[in-house]
Amino acid sequence: MLPASLDEAVDALAAAPAAVPVAGATDLMEAVNAGRLRPAALVGLGRITELRGWRYEDGGTAVLGAGLTHARMDRPDFAALIPALADAARTAGPPQVRNVGTLGGNIVTAAPAGDTLPVLAALEATVTLARAGASREVPVSHLLTGLDPVRPGELLTWVRVPLLHAPQVFLKATGRSGPARATASVALVLDPARRAVRCAVGAVAPVPLRPLEAEAWVAGCIDWDGSREIDPAAGAAFGEYVAAACVPDNYGAEGAWEAVTEGPTAAAVRLRRTVSVLARRALGRALK
Amino acid sequence: MTSPTDIGAALQQDGGEGGAVPEPFGLGSSPLRSDALPKALGIYPYAADLWAEGLLWGAVLRSPHPHARIRGIDTSAALALPGVHAVVTAADLPPGPDGLPDGAPAGPIIADRPVLAAGVVRHHGEPIAAVAADHPDTARLAVGLIAVDYEPLEAVTDPEQAFTAPALHPDGNLFRHLPLRTGDPDAVGEIVVEGLYQVGRQDPAPLGAEAGLAVPRPDGGVELHLSSTDPHGDRDRTAACLGLEPDRVRLVVTGVPGATTDREDLSFQVTLALLALRTGRPVKMTLTREESFHTHTSRHPALLRYRHHADAEGTLVKVEAQILLDGGAYADVSAEALAAATAFSVGPYVCPNVFVDAWAVRTNNPPAGRMRGEGALQACFAYESQMDQLAARVGVDPVEIRRRNAMSTGDPLPTGQAVTCPAPVKALLDAVAAEPLPALPVDDPDAEWLLPGGPGGAGDPSAVRRGIGYAVGMVHMLGAEGEDEVSTATVRVSGDHATVICAAVDAGQGFATLARQIVQTVLGVSEVYIAPADSDQSIAGPSARGRHTWVSGGAVERAALMVRHQLLQPIAANFGMSVELLQIADGKITSYDGVLGMPVAEALEGKELWATAQCRPHPTEPLDESGQGDAFVSISFCAMRAVVDVDIELGAVRVVEMAVAQDVGRALNPRQIEDRIEAGVAQGVGLALMEDLQTTGGLLGNPSLTGYRLPTSLDTPEVRIAALLEERDVVATFGAKAVSAVPAVVAPSAVAAAVRAATGLPVGRLPIRAEDAVTG
Ligand SMILES: Cc1cc2nc3c(=O)[nH]c(=O)nc-3n(C[C@H](O)[C@H](O)[C@H](O)COP(=O)(O)OP(=O)(O)OC[C@H]3O[C@@H](n4cnc5c(N)ncnc54)[C@H](O)[C@@H]3O)c2cc1C
Repeated sequence: MLPASLDEAVDALAAAPAAVPVAGATDLMEAVNAGRLRPAALVGLGRITELRGWRYEDGGTAVLGAGLTHARMDRPDFAALIPALADAARTAGPPQVRNVGTLGGNIVTAAPAGDTLPVLAALEATVTLARAGASREVPVSHLLTGLDPVRPGELLTWVRVPLLHAPQVFLKATGRSGPARATASVALVLDPARRAVRCAVGAVAPVPLRPLEAEAWVAGCIDWDGSREIDPAAGAAFGEYVAAACVPDNYGAEGAWEAVTEGPTAAAVRLRRTVSVLARRALGRALK
Repeated sequence: MTSPTDIGAALQQDGGEGGAVPEPFGLGSSPLRSDALPKALGIYPYAADLWAEGLLWGAVLRSPHPHARIRGIDTSAALALPGVHAVVTAADLPPGPDGLPDGAPAGPIIADRPVLAAGVVRHHGEPIAAVAADHPDTARLAVGLIAVDYEPLEAVTDPEQAFTAPALHPDGNLFRHLPLRTGDPDAVGEIVVEGLYQVGRQDPAPLGAEAGLAVPRPDGGVELHLSSTDPHGDRDRTAACLGLEPDRVRLVVTGVPGATTDREDLSFQVTLALLALRTGRPVKMTLTREESFHTHTSRHPALLRYRHHADAEGTLVKVEAQILLDGGAYADVSAEALAAATAFSVGPYVCPNVFVDAWAVRTNNPPAGRMRGEGALQACFAYESQMDQLAARVGVDPVEIRRRNAMSTGDPLPTGQAVTCPAPVKALLDAVAAEPLPALPVDDPDAEWLLPGGPGGAGDPSAVRRGIGYAVGMVHMLGAEGEDEVSTATVRVSGDHATVICAAVDAGQGFATLARQIVQTVLGVSEVYIAPADSDQSIAGPSARGRHTWVSGGAVERAALMVRHQLLQPIAANFGMSVELLQIADGKITSYDGVLGMPVAEALEGKELWATAQCRPHPTEPLDESGQGDAFVSISFCAMRAVVDVDIELGAVRVVEMAVAQDVGRALNPRQIEDRIEAGVAQGVGLALMEDLQTTGGLLGNPSLTGYRLPTSLDTPEVRIAALLEERDVVATFGAKAVSAVPAVVAPSAVAAAVRAATGLPVGRLPIRAEDAVTG
């Protein structure tokens, strides 16, 4: 099924509840090829042009279509709007994949290393889930944690992101120079209006993690009215604060229930070092 | 960059249309490989594209355990599934000597690896049963319905435990122990450096996963269409496993995607043949990427403990080493890899006193096998790391310590064999050391620098350190320790073209291109067809150890020379001069003075001329109980200088450039040599920095191309060819040496040396993980 509008698409899903929506198919086909998924029918979203762009809403919000491709989000006009999302989209796989892979697909797949996810978490984005005759608004974090999942027959249509008009950064550590999945990533956005720093760490847990205390602490170290400079020692302390908050002592131990007896595991020490460098650098770039 | 029009033109040329640009011709020129463009354009037919009318689909059930007893297998539910035509297990293969199913064990040296597990599984992913069904989904569904009653057993996954663990196989856990003793055990040097080195598990990860088609024959035999790299060996072993005469099995080589190892595992092809024989229908099987990681052999993980003694100037006095190769569950070529590791344990250096103990052992890890420079690569990492340590201790630079100890032609290996082939080790080192260095970011701040971690990555220029490292290494060519090396080729000339029939498989090493060049040079005809390889042709042997340039190239040359003689003799008689005074060029025969001449086509008078010839290099002998013997036919050498940038906070490494000097004997096709060097560098960089097939308790952790990271084009460095040294190897065909393996052997050690230089860290493990390159 290849509906040409959103209404047709939700109707198609209502008529065939077993059908699975498909956008760029970069995740879906991998699951099909590996035999993990055998959809009874597919509803292709590629022809729904309205979902492939974005619009603005009152109150300084951008409403992004779920069908925006990574390649599109990487273009300068979009990068000027939401720089961290553009950064994430730029590194989300090789060009062939980014040309077709979409924002909506990235969110619904909800892979631990999904690159847009920490950015959306840091931006406190919300998503619109639409079904025939109804739609609801859900915080992206509720969707990712499974608190409020996508229900059968629902389509992710829009992603609401506040426009902050301030620096924001996404940094990702991988095992090679070419495109690869993150071993850890950090998204960091400044919200000068609220004098806040918001940060999320990706790929270290099933969902992006927010180090709320570290955010509040570092926001207090920034001279918001002046040059927004920060003491390098505070930057380094922020990095370590974030890492300690997001990587548990027993990281990588056999089974997370194992009691921790002697401090952090070697894997935790390594991952914390990476996260801490990423967070420090991200803060440094945002305040530069 | 090649523009689309260039590609179109080149394709036309390739089709024999004869474009405006004359095709490069003969030895020493650089024609393009005939499969290069189809592969780049995605139109090359791979084995997975095969089709036959009415075919069935095969699928394999694999062990989820690294070690377990099989108490029973119930296939009834699978057989009852509509669309299933056959389910086979070890019980369907010819029984063992005691009349009980033994899974028809086979192997390249020792027949110890069952086609389908009988009674016990010894590694994760070992095949247990197979299904043929009318749809691939049905086949996989049926596989899921086979009920196996396992009794999990303790898995032995630490090679050091293999010595004392209960036997994992009736043959025991020791594949081979090779002691090497030469010189004075009590010799001591003023300077002693020690190290423990570790090499992880690299996978060949061929882009084309295993695939093939089996077609039953009316005579009760079977025809296999596979991307085999050893058609006769695979035919013979398949026939033996099925209890058939070899001539009942025909192996047609198709769609080889480029191989750096043996292509298919035997179990795959025997199972395919068995299903076709069982059902009387063609059967096709294509493995998933995950299965592919499970089924083919990987590089031997290794543990190497070294102690070098040297005098105050750094001249080697004594080398002591213990080498342990993890062969995994089955023997494969572990014994051969161990011989290379032992014989080359000191590297291309002279040392009078050498004491080595080397072992290859069986574990419940995935089986290890052939992979460019098996054994030689692991040793190279250890001895080159030791040389770096020694240089630091003596206080000289790494090139100088290597020059002081470098071997030359005539020097002995620790096995007692004199290196009679060219050994231009010093010249290679000097060539890479003399190359200009790539610019530093500080010298060119305006350029866009690709930082470690890649474009858009987290790299920070202030944390990036540059390092320069050197390595030199060696590897033998052709089979070792008494293996019979032989190849056969037929050359035919008719009209204005020639045909080569030779079962040597072009697995990416470029043999087809080379064979064409040889015939062009000897017979002067430009149109040369290379017949596809199959097992009905005469034996050429496997595509491994860089042997085809020598043995099959030699056979092609001899056959072509015989044809030339047949062609020229009557003309020479006619002209009243000897054959030696005639030459062939551009399809014409001319006398030495250019006075007399005649087109080749006319000289043939409509006849076809044929000749078949063999090439068999001089024999070698096995290493004796103290590791002594003339075990190798010849050796090739290579030196590299690696330049790396390391983000010392994140441990991200990018190889900026590799300068390479290689001993090639004679450059028969310079472009192809450079391609092979680039391929070796890419594979070596992969092993050095990212390729690591992980196992936990014998279970594969990352059998996918997302989990198993291969180097991308952004990870492969600029390759600068400093020199292709052409010192002829007088006993080799055309004086040429094999070129593919030695760059892969040396590259990882050069990268490790450069990371050491950048970080000041010891770097004793390959691949180098991020945490191994983080300072402070
Ligand atoms: C080689 C390769 C490399 C990759 N590298 C990265 C990487 O570095 N970082 C990264 O984050 N990802 C990576 N990916 C994953 C993938 O490309 C992204 O997750 C991409 O954003 C998925 O988008 P898609 O449009 O292709 O999703 P699809 O595959 O079409 O869909 C994925 C899932 O989402 C559902 N879905 C899609 N759209 C909607 C919608 N509007 N409403 C409801 N459900 C929907 C589908 O039903 C399906 O379950 C890579 C993939 C490949 C193949």
